[in-house]
Amino acid sequence: MANTHRIDEIRCPIHGFIALNDWERTVISQPAFQRLRRIRQLAWTDYVYPGAMHTRFEHSLGVMHVATRLYDAICDKSGEILKADLAYNKDGLGRDRQLVRFAALLHDVGHSPFSHASEELFPKRGKGKRYKHEDYSVAIIRSDLRSAIEEHDLNANYGLHAEDIATLVEGSAKARQPIFWRDLIDGQMDADRMDYLLRDSYHAGVEYGKFDLRRILTTIRAIRSRGGHPPQLGVSLGGWHAAEGLVLARYFMFTQVYFHKTRVAYDVHLRGALRDLLPDGQFPPPTGRGLSAYLKWDDWKVLGLLASGGGGEDGDRLRTRNHYRRVYETPEVSSKKDFEVLEKVKNRLGRLVVAEESAAKSWYKTGEPDIPVVDDHNPDDVKPLSRYSSVVRGLKANNQVFLYVAREKFDAAERKVREMTAHGRKK
Amino acid sequence: MAERNEWRLAMLPALASKSKGGYMGRTALMKYMYLLQTVRGVPLNYRFTLYSYGPFDSDVLSDLSTAEALEAVKTKLELYAGGYGYRIKPGRNAKWLERRGEKFLARYSKDIDWVVKKFGAFTSAELELVGTIVYVDQEATGGRKRVDLEQIAKLVHEVKPHFSQAKVLQYARQLAEQSILRASA
Repeated sequence: MANTHRIDEIRCPIHGFIALNDWERTVISQPAFQRLRRIRQLAWTDYVYPGAMHTRFEHSLGVMHVATRLYDAICDKSGEILKADLAYNKDGLGRDRQLVRFAALLHDVGHSPFSHASEELFPKRGKGKRYKHEDYSVAIIRSDLRSAIEEHDLNANYGLHAEDIATLVEGSAKARQPIFWRDLIDGQMDADRMDYLLRDSYHAGVEYGKFDLRRILTTIRAIRSRGGHPPQLGVSLGGWHAAEGLVLARYFMFTQVYFHKTRVAYDVHLRGALRDLLPDGQFPPPTGRGLSAYLKWDDWKVLGLLASGGGGEDGDRLRTRNHYRRVYETPEVSSKKDFEVLEKVKNRLGRLVVAEESAAKSWYKTGEPDIPVVDDHNPDDVKPLSRYSSVVRGLKANNQVFLYVAREKFDAAERKVREMTAHGRKK
Repeated sequence: MAERNEWRLAMLPALASKSKGGYMGRTALMKYMYLLQTVRGVPLNYRFTLYSYGPFDSDVLSDLSTAEALEAVKTKLELYAGGYGYRIKPGRNAKWLERRGEKFLARYSKDIDWVVKKFGAFTSAELELVGTIVYVDQEATGGRKRVDLEQIAKLVHEVKPHFSQAKVLQYARQLAEQSILRASA
C-alpha cells in the first residue's frame, strides 16, 4: 500500500527544496499538469537571453512554495485578525492552507503554448472578451484534475472539492471566506510575481528581478482596515524597503526583460505563426470537447509544426531569426505630446509599420505600485508605500510604444524617421 | 491611438468631473466602472473578478496610471486615521482626452450621470458592498436561476463577514427596489 503520508522534496534553483505531500504529487503527475513541462515560461526570450528556457512547471511548483510561506507568515503574525475579522479557527486555517497550495499550484495549468505570448489567440466568449488562461485553468481543475483532487485519501481530512480551488482561482463569490487569500494568488503581494521575478531573473541571467523575499516573509501582515473595509495584505514598517525592492524588481524586469524590444518582436512572430497553424486561427475554447483539443497544444507541437515549415511568413522569420526591427519608440513615460509625435511618425511610415506594441497592453505591465504599510506598535497607522519611499512615489506607469518594421525595410524606414526628427529639431 | 483605448481612458476625467466636488476616490472609480459595465451594459471591456474588497480589475488602475501620465487626471494621496485614500481630479489635459473619446462619452453620458447620481454619496466601504452584492447577484442568477435576496445576502456575508447578513440584506433590498439586481425579493 502506498504511503499517503510521505513528503517528497523537489530541488528548485530558487527555493532550494520544495516539499510536496502525496496528494499534491498525485495531482502533479496528471497529464494536464505534466503538460506544463512543455510550456516555456517566457516564450522566445531565449533569443535575447539564452538561459531563459525554463517552464511553467517549475514556476507552478515555486508559486505553491512561496504562497505557503506567505500564508504561514500571515497566520503567524496576523492570526488574531484572521480569527476576529474573518471568523477563522485552527481547523479552518489548516484546510485553507491546503486550498491555497492547490490554487497556487494550479493557477497557471491552463497556459497556452509559450505562455502569455499566444493568449491573443484565445477565442471570444460569445460577443464579449476573449478567454484568458485562467478560464482554461479552472476548466482543467474542474474536469481533468477533479478526481485526483477529490478522491485522494488525504482529502478525508479536508473535504476539498475541485470547485473550491476553481472558484478561488477565478474569483467567484462561491469561494466564500477563502476569497481573502486570492490576493496571494493574484494581487499586489502575490506569490506568482514573487516567484516569477526571482525565477525569470535567475534563468535570464540578470540581477534585476532580485528582492529580499526573506524580509517580505518576516514582515507581511493582514492589516485591519477601518471604516467597513476587509483586512488587506501589506507589510509592517520594518519591511517597507523590502516592499520597495519588490516594486523596483518588477520595474526593472519589465524594462530589461519582459518589454525588451527584440523579445516583444518574437511575441509578434509567434502570434503570426500560430494564427497560421491553429484551426481557424485560434485555440479551441475551454468548453466541451474544445478543452481536450486545447490540451494537445504545447510548445513541442508548435515547434514540430514550425520545424516542418509551417507558420507562414512569421514561421520563416522564427526559423531564420529574421525578426522585425524596432524603428521608433516613445519614452517610457509618454506624454500627450509624445503620442502626437508617434501619430506623425506612423503617418510618415505608413504601411512600413508592421507592428505597434504598447507597454500598457503588456501582460507584464508593472501595475499598481502602492502597498499598505502598518506600524506594528500602532495598528491605526497605515500608510501606502509611496508615503515612505520617494523612489516608489516617483514611479510612473510605463506607457511606452514601439513601432516595428520588417528587417529588409529597416534602413528606408529609419531614414524617414531621422528626416522627421531632424526636421522637428530645426523647427 | 484607438488601440490604446482612448474612449475608455476618456471615462476617467469625465467621471471625476461629474462627481461631487469634481473628484472621486479610487474605490469609487473601480466600482463605478464595474456598475457601468455590469448594470448599464457600457462596453468597457474590463474583466472584473471578485476579491474580499469587491469586484476588481487591475486594468482599471492601469488606465488610471495612463491617464495620469497623459495629465488627463491627477491623483492626490489623502491620509486619515486608520488608512488612506486617493483623490482623483481632472488634469490639465482632461478636455483633450475627453474630446478624443467624445463619441463614446456622448453615447453613454446618461449612464455616467446615472452612476454618479446614484452612488456618488456612498462611502468607499458601501461601494465595495454594493459592488459585491451586484457581483454575487449576477453570478447567482446566471443561467436564469431563480434566487432570492436572502440567498444573495447570505453569500455576500460569507465573502464579507465584517458586514452582518441583516446589513447586507438591507442594501440588497434597496438595490432590488431600483431594479439593479436580478434576484427577487
